[in-house]
Amino acid sequence: MKKILSLLKACMTSDMNIFKIRQKKDNKNNNIILPLFLSFAFMFAIWSNANIIFEKLAPMHLQVLVISLVVFGTSIMVVVEGVYKTGSLLFNCKDDQLLLSLPIKRSTVLFVRIFKFYLFELIFNALFIIPLIVAYIRWADSLEWTFFLTSFVMILFLPVIPVILSCIIGVITSSISSRFKFKNFTQILVSFVIILAVFVFSMNMDSIFEKIAAHATSINDFIIKLYYPAGIYAKLVTDFNIVDLLVFILINIVLFIITLFILSKFYFKINSRLKNVSTSKSVRIDNLVIKSRPKTISLIKKELNTFFKTPVFIVNAGFSLVLFIIVVIGLCVKYNDAFDLLKSVMPVKILDSYLSIFIFVLISFAAFMTSITNSVISLEGKNINILKSLPINTKTILMSKVYAALLITTIPIIIGDIILFIRFRLSIIEMLLLLAFSILIPLVSHFIGLIMNLKYPKLDFENSSEVVKQSTSSFLSVLIGMLLLLGSVLLISKLIELVNPVTLLLIFLGAYLFIDIILYLYLIKVSAKKFDSLSI
Amino acid sequence: MIEIKNVTKKYGSKKAVDNVSFDVNDGDIFAFIGHNGAGKTTLIKSIVGIHDFDEGDILIDGMSIKDNPVECKKLMAFVPDNPETYEHMKAIDYINFICDMYDIDTETREKNIKKYAKLFDMEDKLGDTIDSYSHGMKQKVVLISALAHDPRILIMDEPFVGLDPKAVFDIKEVLNEMVKEGKIVFYSTHILDVAEKLCTRVAIIKNGKLVKAGSMKEIKGDKSLEKVFMELEG
Repeated sequence: MKKILSLLKACMTSDMNIFKIRQKKDNKNNNIILPLFLSFAFMFAIWSNANIIFEKLAPMHLQVLVISLVVFGTSIMVVVEGVYKTGSLLFNCKDDQLLLSLPIKRSTVLFVRIFKFYLFELIFNALFIIPLIVAYIRWADSLEWTFFLTSFVMILFLPVIPVILSCIIGVITSSISSRFKFKNFTQILVSFVIILAVFVFSMNMDSIFEKIAAHATSINDFIIKLYYPAGIYAKLVTDFNIVDLLVFILINIVLFIITLFILSKFYFKINSRLKNVSTSKSVRIDNLVIKSRPKTISLIKKELNTFFKTPVFIVNAGFSLVLFIIVVIGLCVKYNDAFDLLKSVMPVKILDSYLSIFIFVLISFAAFMTSITNSVISLEGKNINILKSLPINTKTILMSKVYAALLITTIPIIIGDIILFIRFRLSIIEMLLLLAFSILIPLVSHFIGLIMNLKYPKLDFENSSEVVKQSTSSFLSVLIGMLLLLGSVLLISKLIELVNPVTLLLIFLGAYLFIDIILYLYLIKVSAKKFDSLSI
Repeated sequence: MIEIKNVTKKYGSKKAVDNVSFDVNDGDIFAFIGHNGAGKTTLIKSIVGIHDFDEGDILIDGMSIKDNPVECKKLMAFVPDNPETYEHMKAIDYINFICDMYDIDTETREKNIKKYAKLFDMEDKLGDTIDSYSHGMKQKVVLISALAHDPRILIMDEPFVGLDPKAVFDIKEVLNEMVKEGKIVFYSTHILDVAEKLCTRVAIIKNGKLVKAGSMKEIKGDKSLEKVFMELEG
């Protein structure tokens, strides 16, 4: 036990910097303020939305339905996230050599790695569940002390099953890819297939939800069958039973132990197989390409190389872009169905003339979900010293990272635009504006990512997942992007009936141009100094 | 010429380098020695522009690294103590990348890469990705990339660690060739007998402070460099 605690403490120190926060208590420039502020802003947004839903369901006494759906939704998110995170979170860690040479059980090493993942998901879940609980307190028909006990236990245990599922899928993905020569490519391919499968499954839940509504009287039992943790939470809230609560805790603990036991049987075999680097046939130097390129092109090439050689990076960025293309194709093929669906929330007149606004929101979603630059500084690791010793100015280094990210995101978005332009009739001005947004919005996303990563760099990471998915900078960049997206949607809802679509798009064009200029100036004037002071 | 003028570098309240001053002249092979944690790497990283420093200045051919970092760096090449490279790149791509940063034309880089690849027995290995290399091979790639752009000043931090005996011998030959052309070689090392034989000048640092600096003859007199170092450490 002492070893596990020591190991956890050592890993957590470098992972989440929780001990550094304590050291920095007296520091005026405290790094924890912004993450806390944005987390509260996010929780406030969830709380506000939960209140709106509770208000509608309270007259029907269906408040617990919201709890079940949020638990179910966040669990799916954890599984989707975990699928491409676990591959690099559990395998090929930089501290493998150190930990595996120490006199500790291998299952202990695996336990610590899974536990780290669990802790991160605990925070992620809490961001959704805590505001939900606070909103429920306001709208509950009656409230017992057992609700608080149940909620506390649920906050602790809800992430367990999604984490277990993610780990199992992650191990299977890594096991498959470890058998192939092109391990990274296989891992990316398998991850995409699994994520899309989970996504398609969750998108085709209409009939299940219809049944939930139809069986509203026996909703608890139904949800328990659908997803046990979501159902048992709802059941314990309405009808508390200590035995059910203890059984839930026991099931989670036993599942965790069994998973740990089974995974530790193959884990180290897969890990060592993944480390086998395949070498190509020797090529004489006379046959190699030796040629000069301009500095910026060479830097962009280096960035693209890093991107395409880091599976978690590709899957993370690629997921929303692939999703964007799927939605675009889906919209083209099944426009009438989508139109019928949207008709239920929007007037037909608005829907007809505001297709360009819908595409604008779609582009915003793809751009803000594809935050590539939020980990590009951290991923340099010790190599940051290479860049800093070279005769290139900081602005060139930083902008090359932005250009590379822009290339990755803009190309698929513009392809999507062109598909939509061919399928739907839009005016030339709308098309030009949408093409401009396909550059300007990803640019905002990449500036934010880079600024955040320079503010919260993590150069001493153990594996790429930590910085791509679990770092403060990645969390904040996506959060800020989502807030901008929500802000845009809010503004659209306020202005949609006051101005025509082109005027609305022009307003957004001005806004995004302004934001881009401000962020660019901040990057080269303020964040560049942070880069200059970075050292490892 | 490298002029280090009253340089102080602090980590929090601790002075890692404390008011250090010395010069490195053209044509010098300069050994920079000291115990672990003495401040060697910190000063080297300050010279090459990786670290900022709190007081003093470092001049490279009369230009301040603080005021003209890019111009200063154009004159230098740096070989770190650990072979830090972009491991997912092919070695040839990495070397090309470094040459691009120094604006080296295709002809010059081709000549130099071939020359040093042959010297370090890497001619048929540069097409592989660096993550498939051993520590020594990675060090060779870093050395080839540093030498391929024909630097006027070569700065190295423990350059012989991990290299095989032949590579150590070859690199010593290269360093001698460089100083004959009036270039500067400045490196930190713990291998004192090599430093004694190879270097024309030496500086010894202890707990961040410069203890001795001068020509090899002045510093060691009739004793061995190892003995002088041990006396200073004692």
